[in-house]
Amino acid sequence: MPYVFLSPYLLFYAAFGLFPILFSFYVSLTSWDGIKGKTFVGLDNYVHLFKPGSYFFKSIGNTLLFVGIALPLQIFLGLVIATLLYSKFVKGRGFFQLVNFMPYIVTPVAIGLMFNLMFDWQVGIVNKLLLHFGIIDEAIYWLGEANYARIVIILMLVWKGFGYTMIFYLAGLANISKDLLEAAQVDGANALRTFFSITLPLLRPVTMFILITGIIGGFQLLEEPMLLFTGSNMGSTAIIGGPDRCCLTAVWNMYDTAFGSTTRYGLGAAIAWGTCFIIALFSFFGVKLYKGDPE
Amino acid sequence: MTTKVRSVLATTGIALISLIAFVPFYIMIIMGTHVNEDLFRKIVLLPGNYLLENLKTVTSSRFDLAYLNSFIVSVASTVLSVFVSAFAGFAFAKYEFKFKNAIFNLVLLTMMIPSQLGIVAYVIEMRSLGLSGTLIPLILPWVANAFGVFWMTQFIKGAVPNEVLESARIDGCSDLGLFFRMVPAFIMPAVTTLSLLIFLWSWNNYLLPLIMINNPDLYTIPLSITTLGDAYRTDLAAQILGLSIGTLPVLVLFAFGSKSFIRGLTAGSVKG
Repeated sequence: MPYVFLSPYLLFYAAFGLFPILFSFYVSLTSWDGIKGKTFVGLDNYVHLFKPGSYFFKSIGNTLLFVGIALPLQIFLGLVIATLLYSKFVKGRGFFQLVNFMPYIVTPVAIGLMFNLMFDWQVGIVNKLLLHFGIIDEAIYWLGEANYARIVIILMLVWKGFGYTMIFYLAGLANISKDLLEAAQVDGANALRTFFSITLPLLRPVTMFILITGIIGGFQLLEEPMLLFTGSNMGSTAIIGGPDRCCLTAVWNMYDTAFGSTTRYGLGAAIAWGTCFIIALFSFFGVKLYKGDPE
Repeated sequence: MTTKVRSVLATTGIALISLIAFVPFYIMIIMGTHVNEDLFRKIVLLPGNYLLENLKTVTSSRFDLAYLNSFIVSVASTVLSVFVSAFAGFAFAKYEFKFKNAIFNLVLLTMMIPSQLGIVAYVIEMRSLGLSGTLIPLILPWVANAFGVFWMTQFIKGAVPNEVLESARIDGCSDLGLFFRMVPAFIMPAVTTLSLLIFLWSWNNYLLPLIMINNPDLYTIPLSITTLGDAYRTDLAAQILGLSIGTLPVLVLFAFGSKSFIRGLTAGSVKG
């Protein structure tokens, strides 16, 4: 009987999850534009990934950089807000909850377009405000210089993501027994002490959950950077990956190779598999770290 | 510090961060009320008077059709995905069977695999099944959702009492009857939370429609918006208005559902 309950999931996964993944491995061993015949090329596509012209490691590096900086920031902010909201000091929890979660709801396409306008060097509101208050003397070319562009992407990710971590921390906080916290207070621990020695360790599973899903989600980053750079010149020559491809992410690279500037399906599939291999490494060590928990 | 001072400090802090969360959102709405050229000329902080014109541009693009497409895709994805997840979750939570742990670990593993991995082959698969001219390719990947199965398994384990299932079984209830008659009453919080998330994710999905859909009649909202304007002029103001309108349904859903959304998260989810 349990197999009856499982079968829809297993069937759908086999047909539309597993099959494409396996088939795309086969595609990655060929040279193919999706229309004419395939030519089997063995590992050539994977060899190509190691050449700078494929931008593979550059895009992985960019993705890692974005995730590596944005995720901790977003976890920190989310935790602080959740803790404050959960404390008895803040009124209107429901309202603040929703407002801080709103950025996560907005279509990534919209976020890319919005930040494109806000950080435009001539007309963007950010430059105008910074100039107005005399913080800078000259307009910053936010989207034209590699490091500035990366800062914009990280801001965008943190802005979008901290409400999401906040929600999970709120759920985690609600699961911590009040008796435990009160006992600590009775024993004379102050709020900070209670937070660091009781609340934080008990939130560890939540943090791990956010960390792992955050890394996986981070590797799928595409829409926001894509719309950030192509936003106002849609239709004309789109800038792939921003200045110097400093913001080309792994998935963007795959999309552009297989469905964008070129239609190299084989190479696109190889990029996907290569990326997945790297994610697997990270998840593996992540899970090891998690299982290595002494408690 | 007195409680009152702390309360004021904490609330001010939250209000400031909330402002940061809110400002780009506000700007998005404001930008949609100005004429496109103004967005490049000045800082727009107050509502403009071009809302109706922008609205005309948006509606002239058969935006209603994109809305309908998005609705069909998201509702179908959500319903199918939640049902299949609850079905599988029930098996994992309440039955003992061969290879149970192995299969469950497999599900967890697939949760780690990004969906884009197979996308190149998925496109080919859909083409050869003759589905590439329909909305179906945008729905299928959501049906078998590892996150959903994991979610439902955790929740059903804790929320559905074994005694209820036992006594129903003694009364002659079949296994399917158990699932359809007994289980729903206990798992509504998990269903709400999962539905909201799947709806949101599929509503905002961009990559798959971008690759799969060529026919403008089948455009979903994100796709339809990025093609607004004509060959000579990209109408950003109209695009942004379109995006605000496109965000509206999920915003309303979360505004009304956020309480039970969090309740569902709290009750079932992240215990490790």
